[in-house]
Order: sequence, then C-alpha cells, then structure tokens
Amino acid sequence: MSIAFKSPIFDVKNLNFSASGQDILAHISLEIFHGEYIAIIGPNGGGKTTLIRLLLGLEKPTTGNIKIFGKDLKHFKEWNKIGFVPQRAAQVDQNFPATALDIVRMGRTSKRKLFSRESEEDIQAVDDAMAKMDILNLKDKMVGTLSGGQRQRVMIARALASNPEILILDEPNTGVDIVSQQNFYKLLSKLNKEENITIVFITHDIGVIADDIGRLFTINQKAIICNDPKAALSCEDMSDLYGISAHLVHNHKHEH
Amino acid sequence: MIEMLSYEFMQRAFLAGMLIAILASVSGTFVVLKRYSMISETLAHSALVGVAVALVAGYNPLWVAVVVSILSAWLIEYLRSAFALYSDAILSILLSGSLAVAVIIVSIGGEFNNSLFAYLFGSILSVSGEDIATIFIFGFIALFLLLLFSKEFYFIAYDEEVAKTSGIRVKLLNYLLVTIVAIIVALSIRIIGTLLIGALMVIPTIAALQYQVGFLRTSLLSVIFAVLSVIVGMTLSFYFSLPSGATIVLCVLSIFVLSLLINKK
Ligand SMILES: Nc1ncnc2c1ncn2[C@@H]1O[C@H](COP(=O)(O)OP(=O)(O)OP(=O)(O)O)[C@@H](O)[C@H]1O
Ligand SMILES: [Mg+2]
Repeated sequence: MSIAFKSPIFDVKNLNFSASGQDILAHISLEIFHGEYIAIIGPNGGGKTTLIRLLLGLEKPTTGNIKIFGKDLKHFKEWNKIGFVPQRAAQVDQNFPATALDIVRMGRTSKRKLFSRESEEDIQAVDDAMAKMDILNLKDKMVGTLSGGQRQRVMIARALASNPEILILDEPNTGVDIVSQQNFYKLLSKLNKEENITIVFITHDIGVIADDIGRLFTINQKAIICNDPKAALSCEDMSDLYGISAHLVHNHKHEH
Repeated sequence: MIEMLSYEFMQRAFLAGMLIAILASVSGTFVVLKRYSMISETLAHSALVGVAVALVAGYNPLWVAVVVSILSAWLIEYLRSAFALYSDAILSILLSGSLAVAVIIVSIGGEFNNSLFAYLFGSILSVSGEDIATIFIFGFIALFLLLLFSKEFYFIAYDEEVAKTSGIRVKLLNYLLVTIVAIIVALSIRIIGTLLIGALMVIPTIAALQYQVGFLRTSLLSVIFAVLSVIVGMTLSFYFSLPSGATIVLCVLSIFVLSLLINKK
C-alpha cells in the first residue's frame, strides 16, 4: 500500500478539450501511479494523442485540472522525470545532421549545466540508455540512414537518457516487424519491472498487448478505464470494443 | 596577400569579415535546420530601415541597424507564435514592408545615394574603425550566447515539442536565437550587404549538410566554408576591384556546387 502515501504521477480531474467548436475530449478523469504499466487504445481520431499532449502541457485544456507529481501542471518544472516519445518520432528529416549518438545525447541537454562539458554521469547515462535499447552498434550511424525500427529505438533511448521515472510512448511500434515488436514489448516490461519505470503507451495492436499490462484505457472522446485488461480483451474483440466505447459516448451525451 | 594586408583598412576588414563568417555560419546552422532560412533576408531589410533612419537623422548606422533588426526579429517571433500564420508568409510580408519603409525614409531625407548603396551590397572600403569596434563588441556577445546555448538550439531545431517536454525553455530560447541572428545580420551589412547576407548564413550550412555527417562536423564544415569564402572573396575583391559582398557570395556558391558534385549519389 505504499502507493497510498505517494501522490500519483498524473492526476487528471474532469478534463475537457474542445477545438474549432468540437469536443475532442470530454470529462476525462484518471490517475497514473508510480510503477504502473498502462496501455491506451482507441480508434483513429479518438483523442489519444491529444490526451498525452494535454498531460505534457503542449496543449491547454478548455477546462479541468492536471497535476503532475503532485504539482499543478503550470508550476511543474522537473521535466527530466518524464520521457516522451511522440507519434511519428521516427519519421525524422533524412538530412538532419545527427548520428544516433547525437540524438540520444539530446536527452541529457536539460540536465547539463550551461557551458559544462559532458560529465562522466552524462556519458554513462547515454551509454546505458543505448545499451538498454540495444543500439550501441549504431552510435555513429546517421539517423537518416537507419531503418524505422532502429530509429524508434534511438528515440526511446533519447527519452531514457535523462533517467525518467515515467516513459510515455505514442504508438512506438508502428512500422516495426512482428519479431521486433515482441522484443519491444519484452523490453518495455523489463524497464517496468527491473528499472521500476512507469510506462504509458498508446497502441493499436490490442492483440499483441503483453500480459504484463496492468491497466487499459480506451479513449474515444471519453475515457473508459479497465483495471483488468485480460478480461476486457477476452470478452470482446477489438472492433467490438471500439464500437461499444463509441456507443457509450453517444448514450452518455443524452443522459446529461 | 602580404601587400594587401599592409593596408590598415584591409586588416580591419579581414578581421571583421572572419568574425562575421563564423557568426553567420554557426547561427545559420540552427536557422537552416529550423527551416527558417528566409529570416536572415527579412532581418537584413529591417536593418536597412535602421540604416536609412540613421543616415537621415545622422546617427551611427550600424547601431541603429542592430536595434531595428532586433525589434523586427521579436515582431516576427511574436507573430509566429501568437497567430496562425505561415512563418514564410510573415517573413515575406515583413521583408517587403521593411524595404518600402527604408526607401521612403531615404527618399524623404533626400539621401538615396552612394552610402545606402554601400549597405545594399557591402563595401569593405567604407568600414571605419568605429564600425570594427561595434562589430567586435556585438559579435563577441552573439558568439558567446550561441556557444552557451548551442546544445539547446540544436535540440529545439530537431524537435521543438520534445525539447519543451524535456524541460527546455523553448519560447525564451527561440526569442534569443532570433535576437542573435538579428544582431549578426545587422553587423554584416557593412561588409556583405543587405542583399547578400542571407547567402552567407544559409549556403555554408547547406553545403555542409551534403556530407551527411553528425552535428559537430556539420557545424565545423560550415564554419570552414564560410571563413574560406570570406578570405578568398575579400582577396579577389581587393585585387580585381570587385564588390566584396558579391565576390564572397560567389565563393560560397562555388563551395556549395563542389560539395553537391562531390557527394552526388
Ligand atoms: N488543436 C486542435 N485543433 C483542432 N482539432 C484538433 C486539435 N487537436 C486535435 N484535434 C482533433 O482531435 C481529434 C483527435 O486527435 P488525436 O490525434 O488525439 O487522435 P488519436 O487518438 O491520437 O488518433 P490516431 O490513432 O490516428 O493517432 C482529431 O479529430 C483531431 O483532428
Ligand atoms: Mg495519435
């Protein structure tokens, strides 16, 4: 019950977001606790990316309240604790002058003091992150020349380089082959279990979600939070789940 | 070369030219990677407004150019973040606006003469001791800031949002970068000229990008290309009495074409 004494990493209360006169997210309340392993699913345009962007302060909610590590989003400063890999992160500009190492080192930028050279600790953290993602052999390769899956690993290594407490990944596995995907899930679950990193990731591959996931959020304008993902998956297939959630949203609107 | 450097004004011009080459290429790398190449052109024309005001009112043109160029850079950055406007559209609107204002001021003041021409195309002969002092003071401040925040600027150029979510003060640093670029552009117009400074900012980086190497090497290559162009360009301009700015630009263009050919797949 140690969780009870620690405030959640994310505490979201009654979040609403509308843009161009359209409700994109409505009445979202959720909590994400230390050490959790959460998957977010939902149809295209359901608002998954938007939810993450709101959580990270990249988008302002219309109404509602977001707390990170117990602090109001506005006053939150310790962004080093959060590792974020956005959707399409792997689609880098082919000509961008960066080696894999250059990219991973970016993850240390805000930890380093002005003018300071890379410290032993910086070098070690970058090396560890690359080792965890198994990309040490790609160090000096230009990112533009890497495969989609390799680039994805580089982006995650960058997020890991600041030794975050939580890793947020927006569809990190698109364009990655099945074998790599399975390795990838193993890796996420290893990070979660062995390094105690909280993991939140958005995916469409509901079928391959590993057993390790603690909770499942279905986002389709509203959030449906499922505390036992295995039960959810066994009772309905994917299209049903999406259909039901869409239907629920519809009904809900009429109730109010 | 020895003969050329026996003239005091040539020594000064060389020093100032090399400092400007370094500044333009280092800042240019970030500007190009942010897809913001046009900003140097726009700021150069804003600097011209400063020059026009100074010529008419009798102030030091370089100082006024620096101030007006910085103000214009802030306006650009503000418009870019506060309104849903395309940044290239903002840049071209301000470019033509600035040019129009500059021309009107100069024509009202009745001073549309050689001195403005010198600012349009650059003229090393017109660089005074006071200009050199101004270029060095502002130039070193700009260089200091660029080096101080180079890893942040690089991260922001790579991905503004990820930089923001990892705790980098993106908005502040964006303003800082355009301010630095504004200073550099204003300082360079004596030597390179308003119409040509954009080339010295952008082309060395584009040439360096052809070699497909990491960040550090790309930056070093672009500095080498810019400095080389300034040295060769100024020397040629001295011996063949050519306009300095245009000669420098032709040199950097040659390096670009060579780089393209060398790295052709
Ligand atoms: N700032 C905005 N202005 C207008 N519409 C927006 C804005 N942000 C998001 N939307 C809309 O909100 C909806 C949800 O988008 P979002 O990217 O969050 O979906 P998603 O669940 O991530 O979809 P996908 O699975 O395709 O990635 C979309 O219809 C999108 O166009
Ligand atoms: Mg999305």
